[in-house]
This record gives sequence, C-alpha cells and structure tokens, in this order.
Amino acid sequence: MISLIFFLFIGMLLFSSLFMLARRNARPEGSSTALIEARQALRTLQAGLLPEELVNRVFADQDWDYVRSEAPRSVHELFLNERKGLALLWLAQVNKQIRSLERFHRGAARHYAQLNPRVEVELALSFFALTSACKALQVLVYVAGPYAAPRMVGVVANAASRACKISEQSLSFLDPVRLGTLSGQPTL
Amino acid sequence: MIRATKRIDVAQAASDLRSRTLAEIPRSLDRLIYLASMRDYNTGLYYHDGLASRFTQEVACEALADCHREAFGQLVNCSLRELVNQMEGYIDSTHTSPRDFVAAWKKLEPYRVAVPVETDPLTAQLLFSSFKIALAILEARLLSAPLPPTA
Repeated sequence: MISLIFFLFIGMLLFSSLFMLARRNARPEGSSTALIEARQALRTLQAGLLPEELVNRVFADQDWDYVRSEAPRSVHELFLNERKGLALLWLAQVNKQIRSLERFHRGAARHYAQLNPRVEVELALSFFALTSACKALQVLVYVAGPYAAPRMVGVVANAASRACKISEQSLSFLDPVRLGTLSGQPTL
Repeated sequence: MIRATKRIDVAQAASDLRSRTLAEIPRSLDRLIYLASMRDYNTGLYYHDGLASRFTQEVACEALADCHREAFGQLVNCSLRELVNQMEGYIDSTHTSPRDFVAAWKKLEPYRVAVPVETDPLTAQLLFSSFKIALAILEARLLSAPLPPTA
C-alpha cells in the first residue's frame, strides 16, 4: 500500500513537471508574438514611462513644497501616500517592460544571426543593473517615501532610456520597412 | 496619399477648432472638460456639428480627439499649484457653491471620464491623484474660511 502511494506520488510529480515544461515552451522564442511584445515594451518605455516631463511630474518636489506651505497636515499625508503609490507604480511598470525586453533579447540572441554578441552582452548587463536598481529604488520609496532618492530616480530613468536606445538599434534589422523587401521570405 | 490628405484635413480642422472655439476657453481644465463632453460615451466618437459641416464627420472627430489629447497633456504637465488655481477658476465659472462643488467632485470623481482613449494608465493615474490632492487642498481652504452669510 505504501509503495503504491509512493509510486502514485512520483507519477504525479513527473506529470506536473511535464505540464510545467510544456507550458513554459508553449510560445517559441523569437516568434512574431515575442517580437510584437518587445516592440510594445519599447514603445511603452519610450513614449509612456520614460519621458522626462512624466518622471519630473511624478517625483516633483515643487509640488511637495507647495503642499507643505499651503495645506494642513492631513493633506501632507494624503499627498505623500498618493505620490508614493504613483512612484511605486512607475517603478513596477519600468521593471516589467525592461524584463519583457530582456526576455526577448535572451530568446532573440539564439535566433537572429544579425545580432552583435558584444551588444547583446552589454544589453544583458544593462538589463541586470536596471532591474536591480529598480528593485532597490522600490524598497527605498516603500520605506522612506517618494522623495527618498531623487538622484537615483534620474539614474534609473537615464539608464532605461539608454538601454532602450541600444535595444532599438540592435533590433533595427527587424524594421517592418526593411522586412518589406524580404516579402515572401520567413522572418526568422 | 489618401491618408496624407486626411491627415492634412485633420490638422486644418484642429487648427480651426483651436482658433474659433478653444481660444475662448483659456484654462486647459475647462478645455479638457469641454472636449470630453463632445464625446459620445457609448461609441467613444466625438461630435461637433459646426466642424463636421466645414470638414467631414470623420475629420471633425479626429480633430476633436487630437485637441482632447493636447488639453489632457497640458493638464498632466501642470504643477499642483497651477491645477489648484485652475480648479478655483473653473469653480468660479460654474457659479456653483465651492463647498457643493468640492463635495460633488470628491464623491463622483467626474474627471475619470474626461480622459482621452488610449491614455496610458500611469499618466491617467497621475492626473486622478493630482485632482484628489487639489480637491483636498480646496476643501481644507474652505473649512478654514468663514461660512458665507445666509440670506
């Protein structure tokens, strides 16, 4: 009886491992879906999350000065909570999009011969540094509030912009205009 | 070619809208609310009879959407001080009691339906959050001010 339970347990373990593996490989790396996701991540970062005006607005200390000078203490608390939530949302979204780009480059590096290995290594290091900085900043903002590390915010935003630019250049051979000339040929 | 011609028409219609109608609405908050009110809640399409008669309904719709995005962008980039000033000006222009206005806006949050389509969630959240704080500042000012004499 005990051995039956043991083998059933082993069987279930093997089955669930196979299921997990099958799920993980459901979407081939380098597929068009992955490329669309990477382009979407780039667009979201460049147009939605990293423009200087937006970063300046989320972390604007002139707003905090205004609230401190013009509003009662209850509003101070509301302001800090609101801006803390926004700062954490911004960091989470930057982190998410950077991870999405990183996933694509990790997969693409195995599929596209046109990619420069040196650039891909540089990108991998940038992605690692960025996601680590995002995590550290998230902890700082969570513990000490949205104005805890203003210089680090600038560093993260600039580093993310730089990584986006390198990624964009690295994937420029996948430009739809250039791909148009290869119509009829598979894109991979 | 057709697309480029349509884009030129949209730019002309938007310029027409800016010079005729929007020029008389100086605050970006008022412009945002005005342009959001031109949008049908059920379809998301904008309507403006005057503009549609000079151009086409489709061109008018896109021009209104462009101006709506522009007003939204201007308001998002406002400092909190500027937003509070704009809200005070807007309250004055509605001729409602500031206390009633603040209470209604806090409860109904009408600014949530004034956001253009396809605005990214973070930017929308930034504006909602600024409105919430601006309303709290206005409410605090009203509470510390003496009540107006009743008739």
